[in-house]
Amino acid sequence: MPLLETTELSKYFGGVVALESISLSIEKGEILGMIGPNGSGKTTFINVLSGIYRPEKGEVKFKKRDVTGFPPHVITREGISRTFQNLRVFPNISVLQNILTGLHCRIDNSLFGIFFSPFSSMKREKQAEHKSLEILEMVNLAKTKNELAKNLPYGEQRLLEICRALASEPDLLLLDEPCAGMNPVEIDTLATFLKKLKSAGITIFIIEHNMRFVMSIAERIVVLNAGKKFKEGLPAEIQNDREVQEIYLGEEEEI
Amino acid sequence: MALPEAKKLKLVLFAAVFIVAIGLPFILRDPYYLGFVNVFIMYSILSLGLNLILGYTGLLSLGHAAFFGLGGYTTAILMKNHGLPFVPSLVISALIALFFGFLVGIPTRKVKGDYFCLLTIIFGEIFRLVVQSWIGFTGGAMGIVGIPIPKIFGWTIRTEADFYFLGLGLLCFTYFTLAILVKSKFGRAFVAIREDELAASVMGVNAPVYKILAFGIGCLYAGLAGSYLAVYQTVVTPSNFRLEESCFMIIAVIVGGMGNLGATFSGVFLMTLATEVFRPIAEYRMLIIGLIMVIVLLFRPQGLFGASAFKD
Repeated sequence: MPLLETTELSKYFGGVVALESISLSIEKGEILGMIGPNGSGKTTFINVLSGIYRPEKGEVKFKKRDVTGFPPHVITREGISRTFQNLRVFPNISVLQNILTGLHCRIDNSLFGIFFSPFSSMKREKQAEHKSLEILEMVNLAKTKNELAKNLPYGEQRLLEICRALASEPDLLLLDEPCAGMNPVEIDTLATFLKKLKSAGITIFIIEHNMRFVMSIAERIVVLNAGKKFKEGLPAEIQNDREVQEIYLGEEEEI
Repeated sequence: MALPEAKKLKLVLFAAVFIVAIGLPFILRDPYYLGFVNVFIMYSILSLGLNLILGYTGLLSLGHAAFFGLGGYTTAILMKNHGLPFVPSLVISALIALFFGFLVGIPTRKVKGDYFCLLTIIFGEIFRLVVQSWIGFTGGAMGIVGIPIPKIFGWTIRTEADFYFLGLGLLCFTYFTLAILVKSKFGRAFVAIREDELAASVMGVNAPVYKILAFGIGCLYAGLAGSYLAVYQTVVTPSNFRLEESCFMIIAVIVGGMGNLGATFSGVFLMTLATEVFRPIAEYRMLIIGLIMVIVLLFRPQGLFGASAFKD
């Protein structure tokens, strides 16, 4: 059963065709990879899924519900969470506060509740804090919980951003180039972490340029080129596909 | 049960502040000094509200004086022309400021940075001009004089010391409600919007609604302070609510430390003190206040007590 399904999804920026009739489905519990040359529309695709852009045509179905054109905060509440290509943690607040912000839509306190039933509100806040620490524990960041996010090393900030997305209890996690700028050790840590998340039942959709990483971790791969879906298949198939190699490296010329 | 050292220190500090706050009017017999404290309290209420808008949510509002004025005029008109007692006037003043806060917040929710700033200046100026020209309702440039002496359940507020306790009550209300708010998920959402609005909305924060909310709530406290000013001065005039007042509050928030409630007091104290000390040189004192701000920001860009703003 597909967790998320897009049909004929198109997005234009004026005359520029960013996405053209993309139909694909993400199955429950899998890790789906997406690759493609620069400017092929991968990030636009994630932006449409997470509600930042509204598609011109087509629809997005999540858990059999039409969520096309919903604003981002509603999409997050529905259970889709994401990270950004260029790191967007909240720099001037502590690591723990970052994660707690991710839990925003899961804390059931109302504006009147925090004043008129302070004790049950405080209890919910405590539970949220406890949960945040558990998430940080998973990636060994619990010891830095009071550190400002901007003071963490780059790789840890990347992990923090994924943890923040996880805090909103997503069923589907969209990762936009999580490896960018990471060193090989950090990439290994990330791979183990993502596999752990998969076994915890979270579906992951990942855009990545690091071929070794994406080939090793994804179960299926979609190739995007110039806004269109170009190929879809198993990592091994994609790796040996002549046409895919050509869009990346250019055509081989006859001498 | 042994309390941790930091908590013990906090408790002792809190008790000390409490005792000093209660005992102050009995030590400070001179009404001049107590008057200074009352002005300090009023600006503290204003700046705490502004800190929610500017320091926490990151919206530079240059129209805060207008909401201050809305509170002042509401109380003045209700008490003088309609004979309403002080307590309902106070509540209505705060609610009117809240309502207008929402009214300004709704159209400006998608406007960012400098443009937001411009729109709030415009609102502030519109308020001042309307008040100055609508002579039948607001008394024009002469303002409203002879606002009656307030009474709360039989307690007549007449002397500086009485006003001190009234102000202290309002200040405690302001500080504690804001402290609860900023520690909750709402406060975190405001900070997230300041840090990165797009990331905040992706984390499930309804950014436009929260911006309107922060703006409105911040203005509510300005309404309270305005009401206090009206009964304290017994006069309100348009010149009480000029752009300079807004700038004064912004400087107090920035110098004290943005995004830290406690730090606001230090900024307000420095500013009110500077205004008092340099009163003899009249217009030139803004020059010196500007200089103070430059010096503070050069050496402590995060404000006097802004360093540990977001650490627990």
